Amino acid sequence: MSQAALLSVKGLEAKVEDKTILKGLDLEIKPGEVHAIMGPNGAGKSTLGYVLSGREGYEVVGGEATLAGTELLDIDIEERSRAGLFLAFQYPVEIPGVSNLEFLKSSVDAHREAQGLEPISSKEFLKEAREACKQVNLPAEFLKRGVNEGFSGGEKKRNEIMQMLLLKPKLCILDESDSGLDIDALQVVAEGVNSMRDGERSFVVVTHYQRLLDYIKPDFVHVLSDGKIVKSGDASLALELEAQGYSWLTEQRSADPIEMHKEVM
Amino acid sequence: MTEEIDKALARQYEAGFVSDVESETFPPGLDEDVIARISARKEEPEWMLEWRLKAYRTWKEMSEPEWAHVDFPKINYQDISYYSAPKSMADKPKSLDEVDPELLRTYEKLGIPLVEQQMLAGVAVDAVFDSVSVVTTFREKLEEAGVIFCPISEAVHKYPDLVKKYLGSVVPQKDNYFAALNCAVFTDGSFVYIPKGVRCPMELSTYFRINEQNTGQFERTLIVADEGSYVSYLEGCTAPQRDENQLHAAVVELVAMDDAEIKYSTVQNWYPGDEEGRGGIYNFVTKRGICHTNAKISWTQVETGSSVTWKYPSCVLKGDNSIGEFYSVALTRAKQQADTGTKMIHLGKNTRSTIISKGISAGRSNNSYRGLVRMNPGADGARNFTQCDSLLIGDQCGAHTFPYVESKNPSAIVEHEATTSKVSDDQLFLCQQRGLDPEKAVSMIVNGFCKEVFKELPMEFAVEAGKLLEISLEGSVG
Amino acid sequence: MSNWLTQALAQYQSSDSTDWLSAAREKSLQQLHNTAWPTRKTENWRYTPLACLERTSVAEPTNDAFTAESIEGLECIEIVFVNGKLVSELTDNIPGVSISLLSESKESAQNLFQKVKPEHHVFGLVNDVLASAGVVIDVDESVVVDTPIRLVHWQNGGESHVRHLVRVGKGASLAVIEEYRGDNPLVATQYAEYQLEDDAKLNHYRFALHTNQAMVVGGSHFNLSDRSELHSTLIGFGSLLSRVDIDINHCGEHAMATQNSVYLLEGKEIFDLHSNVEHTKPNGTTEENIRGIVGDEAKAVFNGRIHIHRHAQKTLAELNNRNLLLTNKAEVNTKPELEIYADDVRCAHGATVAELDTKALYYLRSRGVSEQEARIMLNFGFINELIEQLPLEPLVEWLQGELKRRFNDLRNQIPGVEAV
Repeated sequence: MSQAALLSVKGLEAKVEDKTILKGLDLEIKPGEVHAIMGPNGAGKSTLGYVLSGREGYEVVGGEATLAGTELLDIDIEERSRAGLFLAFQYPVEIPGVSNLEFLKSSVDAHREAQGLEPISSKEFLKEAREACKQVNLPAEFLKRGVNEGFSGGEKKRNEIMQMLLLKPKLCILDESDSGLDIDALQVVAEGVNSMRDGERSFVVVTHYQRLLDYIKPDFVHVLSDGKIVKSGDASLALELEAQGYSWLTEQRSADPIEMHKEVM
Repeated sequence: MTEEIDKALARQYEAGFVSDVESETFPPGLDEDVIARISARKEEPEWMLEWRLKAYRTWKEMSEPEWAHVDFPKINYQDISYYSAPKSMADKPKSLDEVDPELLRTYEKLGIPLVEQQMLAGVAVDAVFDSVSVVTTFREKLEEAGVIFCPISEAVHKYPDLVKKYLGSVVPQKDNYFAALNCAVFTDGSFVYIPKGVRCPMELSTYFRINEQNTGQFERTLIVADEGSYVSYLEGCTAPQRDENQLHAAVVELVAMDDAEIKYSTVQNWYPGDEEGRGGIYNFVTKRGICHTNAKISWTQVETGSSVTWKYPSCVLKGDNSIGEFYSVALTRAKQQADTGTKMIHLGKNTRSTIISKGISAGRSNNSYRGLVRMNPGADGARNFTQCDSLLIGDQCGAHTFPYVESKNPSAIVEHEATTSKVSDDQLFLCQQRGLDPEKAVSMIVNGFCKEVFKELPMEFAVEAGKLLEISLEGSVG
Repeated sequence: MSNWLTQALAQYQSSDSTDWLSAAREKSLQQLHNTAWPTRKTENWRYTPLACLERTSVAEPTNDAFTAESIEGLECIEIVFVNGKLVSELTDNIPGVSISLLSESKESAQNLFQKVKPEHHVFGLVNDVLASAGVVIDVDESVVVDTPIRLVHWQNGGESHVRHLVRVGKGASLAVIEEYRGDNPLVATQYAEYQLEDDAKLNHYRFALHTNQAMVVGGSHFNLSDRSELHSTLIGFGSLLSRVDIDINHCGEHAMATQNSVYLLEGKEIFDLHSNVEHTKPNGTTEENIRGIVGDEAKAVFNGRIHIHRHAQKTLAELNNRNLLLTNKAEVNTKPELEIYADDVRCAHGATVAELDTKALYYLRSRGVSEQEARIMLNFGFINELIEQLPLEPLVEWLQGELKRRFNDLRNQIPGVEAV
């Protein structure tokens, strides 16, 4: 395979306060691929997204990460976004007083500016935004409301996917986008993602459960444990994990069957 | 429920006995002559007398503060005696063996047997009885570490340079009416000096007691923690039960030099007056500390006594990265009134302060938190967090919160929160359903309410404080 | 006593005192003589000096034509005063509502004047004595007034003393916009008293939008009877002296009040807001949200008192004051107060002077918005949150425009935002 990687993460080490969470993580994703990252609680699954997107408090102590040739770890949060990185948050923050519409237009324009394009006209933007809302089953009135203000958990997740549709990133990291969703909402999220698969755009799907992967078929499945990828495989690995849990892969094997059970629940 | 609470709250003041100690007491009245006599009795040097007289002249020009949420009849400052000393103190005891046994029994009744404390707790105690420091235990061990812990009257003689340098440096004479009065007439108190880099080998402690009738108590405490040193200091207060109000106007000054830490804990149990509000101590106290670079001062207080409390232990955070803390439990019952809180003055960069105040009101009492947090223009990156919670027991009491927040720095963060609640019927019901009697339940709930503060107290004081609350609340529910 | 006050009162003594309010005015005059002029030691005026009243000479008012800018898309009854003189028509065609000039009212107003506004406001007493401009609005029982009444005052110098009296009858409902504007050095006292009868509902807006040379003191005061409902919004720009007192009295049970205030200060302006809520009866609810952004060398003062009286059991009262301070020459002084004499109540207050929410900043940036722009958006969002949810949409848009205009002067001062 000679194709260049879209995302290349090598030996990534990161800590939060004084605790090291990522301990030398390697990951390579080619254009168009879908990678699922699974693993027990506390393995560092969410940390990966935070570190790549540049969240404050997540300190990189080693390794490197490039996105389409751009050195990610040296640039600001917003520059990473404009370089094509999108993180769909597990718990999107509420920003009352800042309307969705204003916020989304600013981000779309910022992305366009980075590509040397003029700001989008309000009219055209409104059209696109309404379209996107429709696609994720959100009423267009949501655009007028404050960012995530008073949204239900499911609405927040769909709002994230809506933003992804508008920003058209190169790489999308979905951080447990399935958590707390009922089956209908899960399908909406999955359809949004699938509609964006075009052979170029890549996805990292971080999840606890195999369930989401029924809808978003991964090319690769990785198990993250104690800050490292301990096993990789194809989609069948997810099924294996569903059946057997993580303990057979992790070093600190849990002797407590109830604990083991929890991890796969 | 209210009636039952009232009845139940009518408990005895356990420290309300009078000790039969023969005393020498000045006749009531205050003028320059009285001050000269106090100074003479203490065999003070000339500069000390001058200092007192200057304060007295300042005081005469000032007027009593009226802004506090308290109400009491005007004090006639000429009706108070400004000096009282047990006669047996005339020739000061050199060791415990020489102390009047009656005095020692008084302390035993108060639960602070000195000898026992010496042996068990390893707490060095300076006991101030009316106006005179009775004895300071554990002196030798402290001397070994280079720590000075002695009555301030003695420090005036033995360490005049230190006293001259620091006395009035944190609380200036004209700071407020009661502080000025204290400067003029203070009779004794403790002096502590911790040398550079020394961690004081034991908790230091002072017990104050007012015994004589119609006397005021004006003690003065000065603690200087030199660079990189540490000291934990405790004070406890009691007074006999009398129908007249007695005035207590103390001043405490703390100086924490660079990297030093002072922990100052108070359990205040002055006589609170009777159910009708007769008698009790007027506790008008000025306490303030100054923190230099990286220094820390932590005030912890448990206030259950006094008929009127006017007290705001404060921190001036002068040095960069210095820290001020204030943890307070104030319980009022019967007709007690408390107006207490703190001031955190942030001057230096990255200074931090935390204020946790728990007010419990019962009976017909009024309990107010009054605080000031000020961020000066130089206090870049400074932080304050304040949490004031009030608990009301019964519907005849009052709980009030008066926080002042003043910020002049855009990078400083101030957060203040206050809540009010009562011991809910649900909580009581739950406890009773699990087999607890209501009295125990209330005391448990109140203790839980105060937990954040109690954990800041040294172990033996935390136990005492918990017990004190329990006694104060005894039978608060049918 | 203050020279300004002596001179101001001289106008009264030399004026014709045969009006229907003369007895009430005399009473307040007496009280004023027994009231100390506020100084820095007066708790209620601790942070707001009044010296400007003595120092500044007011401009000669001119009778320039003034037309109130209409609020696009909002149909409302407009009553316009210029330099204290009515310049618009008084409408008399709303069924069940009577609107008359203060100077021409009699009976109904007698029961309102001085009945709601507390007596302890010194400038309120001055206003009692001198009030000449203003209207009396009386809404009959069960009348639902669909069209908001907009009371505009514009002044370009001199002194004026405004007093509005409003009664909302049993079960009636009304929206009132008090809008105060002015240019040049001027002095004004601007008070309004509102009596809400049982089950009445009032949407109240007070916009204090003077330019920086005005010296204005005033207040809106509300009596809430059983089950009445008040929603009040205050927008304040500072000026040389700008002080507003909001008093809400729960005189009846089960009354409900929300009060939201926003201030946006620049230059050397002062804005001083005092709110006082009295819960004298059980089962009342009050929620107050006060937010401000303070830039340049401006000074914000907030004092918010909630007083729960002995028998006001089951009261729910909350107050929250949040401030963003932009420069280290600006200042914020805030004091939320609780005075509580009943045990079965839920009361809380909070006050912050703080920076922006860092999580929100990260979220916006992670979508490609630049840090500067994110900070600007979050700062505006901070005040917009209290505006966007108001019930009259055209009013919201108009207000956002007013606020944005001023906000744009301040945006370059936001920490982390470089001057453009």
